[in-house]
Formats: sequence, structure tokens, C-alpha cells
Amino acid sequence: MIVENTQTQMRKGILEYCILSIIAKGETYASDIIAELKKAQLLVVEGTLYPLLTRLKNNGLLTYNWVESTSGPPRKYYILSDEGRNVLEQLDKTWEELAFAVQTAIGDRK
Amino acid sequence: MNKTIIININGIVFHIEEDAYEILKNYMTDVKRHFSNSADSLEITTDIENRIAEMFSETLTRDNKQVIVEQDVNSIIEQMGTVSDFEHAEDDSNADANPLNYATATRRLFRDPDDHLLGGVCAGVGNYFDIDTVWIRLAFAIAIAAGGTGLFLYIILWIVVPKAVTRSDRMAMKGEKQNLQGFKKNFEDEMSSFKQNVSNFGQEARPFVYKARDFTGDFFHHLGMFIRGTGKVFIKIFGVVVLLAGLVALVALIVTLVAFVGFGSSRHNDLFPFEIVTSAHATNFYLCAFIVAFVPVLSIMLMTLKGIFNVGTIGKSTGTVFLVVWLCSLGMLIFYGVKIAENFRESARFTQTVNIKPTKNNTYYLKLNDIKYFSHDDSVRLDIKDHFKNMIVIDDDYNGFNNGRRSVTIKVEKSDVKAPELEESYSAKGGNYDDALFNARNTSYVFAQQDSVLKFDYTLRKRPNLPWHDESITLTLRVPLNTKVVIDQKLDNYLENISLYDCRVANKQDSAPSSIFVMTENGLRCKVDTLVTAKKDSIKVDSAAAAQ
Repeated sequence: MIVENTQTQMRKGILEYCILSIIAKGETYASDIIAELKKAQLLVVEGTLYPLLTRLKNNGLLTYNWVESTSGPPRKYYILSDEGRNVLEQLDKTWEELAFAVQTAIGDRK
Repeated sequence: MNKTIIININGIVFHIEEDAYEILKNYMTDVKRHFSNSADSLEITTDIENRIAEMFSETLTRDNKQVIVEQDVNSIIEQMGTVSDFEHAEDDSNADANPLNYATATRRLFRDPDDHLLGGVCAGVGNYFDIDTVWIRLAFAIAIAAGGTGLFLYIILWIVVPKAVTRSDRMAMKGEKQNLQGFKKNFEDEMSSFKQNVSNFGQEARPFVYKARDFTGDFFHHLGMFIRGTGKVFIKIFGVVVLLAGLVALVALIVTLVAFVGFGSSRHNDLFPFEIVTSAHATNFYLCAFIVAFVPVLSIMLMTLKGIFNVGTIGKSTGTVFLVVWLCSLGMLIFYGVKIAENFRESARFTQTVNIKPTKNNTYYLKLNDIKYFSHDDSVRLDIKDHFKNMIVIDDDYNGFNNGRRSVTIKVEKSDVKAPELEESYSAKGGNYDDALFNARNTSYVFAQQDSVLKFDYTLRKRPNLPWHDESITLTLRVPLNTKVVIDQKLDNYLENISLYDCRVANKQDSAPSSIFVMTENGLRCKVDTLVTAKKDSIKVDSAAAAQ
């Protein structure tokens, strides 16, 4: 139970960091984000992404533009807001620190 | 060949096979339910729907087809992920963010609409504390019985505690962990409960007025059900009462029949109306009367059994037999009734006159004979002469109750001749004049004069064990003008056209044992004493007469 909880917490934090990183590359459509995350083996199903995106958007980290589509309803293309950029920069720093800490911590063990 | 359904996702129309539609529908229902507790549920589900629409379009274009099939839907669901995948990914992230998420084992207090007597309050409380509802009900019943606080509390709870409407409410009420996969109900049902969930915020904060309105609606709904329930109980009780009454009536009827037919009716023939029945037809008459009464009582009992307790049946043939038997008995009863009535068709009367010895002071005392009259047989049997020598046997029956009907009437009239006389007029009824006359002759009346005292018997005598033929006697006492007649109070019931009561009132003597009358030109008149001395005289005379 504790293991699962820790995994979930770690995964959750990293997932948000990754999503922000992907969107930081430019206007991104949800399925593109999914494709990248699948490649990185962080996310398996598309459905879980939408709540995350909505939450990030509601927290002011993301905005989106409606773009007409030829193959269906209009698409939401997400971009980072200014606040999102600030958060991402902080997260970059945090990640470097964390990566260092983890490397240091587990380096001795291996 | 498959049936296709046209669906519309955010303005884009798709043709989808029925099976595929069912899967998609269930999937979307699950998804909506899953996100229903989230504040952003609408946005999230719209995103998902849009994405599904897009994937449908891509699939149709890629495969160059027009209809979405089951396989397409399955692959899209696989890509989008099932609700369990969502749960796994989010896990506890939503739980603390969402106060309305019931997906925990905590119980919530609801009124239970599935297990209620009135408002489901007791069942709800029982569910909340995980106690058998019976104990809660018992506690409330005791609290209501002891001062009525329970009733007050119940009504308050009824108003305040919401009713468990949706399935999730019920699960939360019973503390069941919600399993999103468990929701496999039809779309409409799910949608309605989904809406309920969304509007739960509003429901929680509803003003008291609306709750009270709901409460009154609920109240009358439950009251109706309660009355319907208790109504059934009352009907059952009524049925039991009817059955018991019927049973008692049947037993009484059978006992009566046995008494009359089995042991003979001679013992009862003094009592009206049995005295009418001549012994020749008695058995048949009683049997018919019995059946006429028995069949309807039995039918009512059987119908009660069938109608209320749904036990046993009256078959068509049984019913017909009952009806025929009843009609036959009724016919025979009427036949014998007419036969018996024929015995009263003719009446006969004869008169004889008894001379009364005149007295010196021209005063007569009319008294009731309270000496027991014995027939010759009785006299011999009881050996009256030896055993009751110089004694008087008093007849307790002189009030006339034993005969039931008054057969003696006494009148006092003015005589044309100087000497007083008593006219005895006997009458009786019979099938023809001869019979009637014979019946009248068959009676006797005991009248005795002892100086100035005239003693009248209370009844007409007839031989025992003879049926009643409406025998009667009219006694007319004819006295000359200015004759004083003192009438005993005990004769009151037998007098015609003479009111002892009025005379007593006129003399202001409420408890006088007798009243004094005087024969005038216009008939017998009450003698009203105006002087106290005169009154004293009359009393003296009375007591002197009584001494005799």
C-alpha cells in the first residue's frame, strides 16, 4: 500500500512536469502529448490526460486555442501561460536537485 | 445486416451499429459518473467526447467506411482507457480534493426509501449505525409512547435528513464502497442519477422551505401507504369478527333446532311466537325456518373467507345448491306460515252474565286475585287440600308476565237495572267458526265475590299443552248510578278507559294502593276529595276493606 502510494505520488509529480515540458515546446494537441508520454512510457491511456490538462489550465499554468480540424470537431491546442513558464523553470531546478539527490542517494547503494 | 443508430457528438453525426452504440453508451456513462464528482466534469467529459469524435472520424477516413462497428469502439476505449485505468492513474489524488466523493467506506445518513414504514428514518439511522432497523424502530416506539419526544424527533429527522434517491446515495447510506464498474444500468437511469449527483451541491444547501415541501409531499405519500397497510389489517379484523359472529349464529341456530325438534316444543309453547305454532306443523316449520336462517349465514362466512382471507371457494354448483335449498325452505316456510295463519282466520265470541250480589253501602272493591289457581290435576298432584289446609297459595305470576299477552280486559259501565252484574265475553280464533267457538269454550275464567270485594283473576285459563288461539276475555262490570267503585292499583294493567294514574294525581296521592270512582250519568268518574276529613274517611274505609 505504501509502495503504491509512493509510486503514485512520484509518478504524479513527474507526469505534470513532463506535460508542462512537452507543451513548452510549442502549441500542442492532446493526442500529441499522449504520443510523447506513451513513448516515454509514463502514460498508457488517453483518458487520464484530460483531467490533468483541465487542472493545470484551471491553475493558470496553461491556456488553449481552438483550432479548426478537418477530421472532426475543433481541437484544443495547449500553450504555456507566463505563470506556467515560471513554474516550469522552478520545476527544472527542482528536478535537477532531485535528480542529483537521487543519484547521490542510490549511487552509494549500487 | 445490422441496425445502425445515428448519434451526434458535439455537432458531428456518426452512423454507429447498435451493439457498438451500447458499448459506447455504457462507456460514456461510466466516464461521466467517474468525473461527476469533479468540478470540471463537464469540461473533461466534453474533451473526451470530442477526442472520441475525432478518432471516429479518423477511423472512418482511414478505413474508408461509413459505419462505426463494435471493434472500432473497443479500440478507441482501449486507447482512451477505461474508468479503472483512470482510477489507477489518479488514485487518491481526487479523493481529498473532492468532498462529495463517496468512493470511501464512510457512511452517510439518508432516509431509506427501500425499507420504510413511514419516512424511512429508522431504516436510515439503522443503516448509519449498522444496527438492525428493528431496534431503532423499537427505540422510537418507546420514545413516542413515553411522552411523545420520539414523534417530535422523528418528524425533525424526516425533514432534515435527505432521502436516498440515487444508487450512490444508497451505497453511501449502507457504507458500501462504490465500484464504478458495478454500475451497469440503462442510460436514462444513469443519466438521471448523474444529474442528481451534479446537483447535489444545490440539494445540500436547499432552503428549509423546499425541504418542508418535500416533507409534506413525502408525508402524504407515506400516510397513504400506511393507511393502505393498516386498512388491510382492519379488513382482516373485520373478517375475523364476521366469521366469529357467523360461527356463534350457526351454533345458536343448531342448538335451537335441536331444542325444538329434538326435545319437542311443548315446553316453549307459552312464549310468543312459538305458542302460535300448532304441533302438527311444528317440526317442518322449525326446520324450514332453520334452513332459511342457516344458509345465508353460512354463505356470508364462506364469502368472508374467500374475499378477505382468500381461503376456500364457493363453487358455482355449491352456490346454486345453496340458492335452491334456501328458496325451497323459504317457500315451505311461507306455506306452513300460511297454514298456521289459517288457524286464526275466523273468530268467535260468546257472552255470559254473572249476577253480583248487591251490597248495602253500594260500594264495590275491585281487586286482583293473587291466589294461585290450580287445575284439578295439579291440585291432586300437590295434594293441596291436605298440605295447605287453611293456607293460601300466592301466585307470583299475577303480573301477567308468564303468558306474554294480556288476555283479560276489565271495563266498568253504567247499569240500566238496579242490580249490578258482570258480563264475561269470551273470544278465540280458529280455522273456521266451529273451531274458534270450540277454542273459546275451551277456556275458563275465575271470578269471585266476597261480600263487597270483587276478585278478578289475572289470566284466562286454558288446558295446558294447547296451542294459542288468541283467546281473550272482556269483563264488563255494570253498576247502577252513584255506585262507588274502589279499584285496586294492581288492576291497572287490565283496565280499559279508566286511568288510575289520573285519579291519583287528582287526589294528590301518588302512592295510594287504590283509587275511588263513582258511577255518574256520563260513566265512571274519579272521586276527588276536596276536604281533608273526607279523605281521611275514605282512607279509613279503604283500610277497613283491605282488612277484609
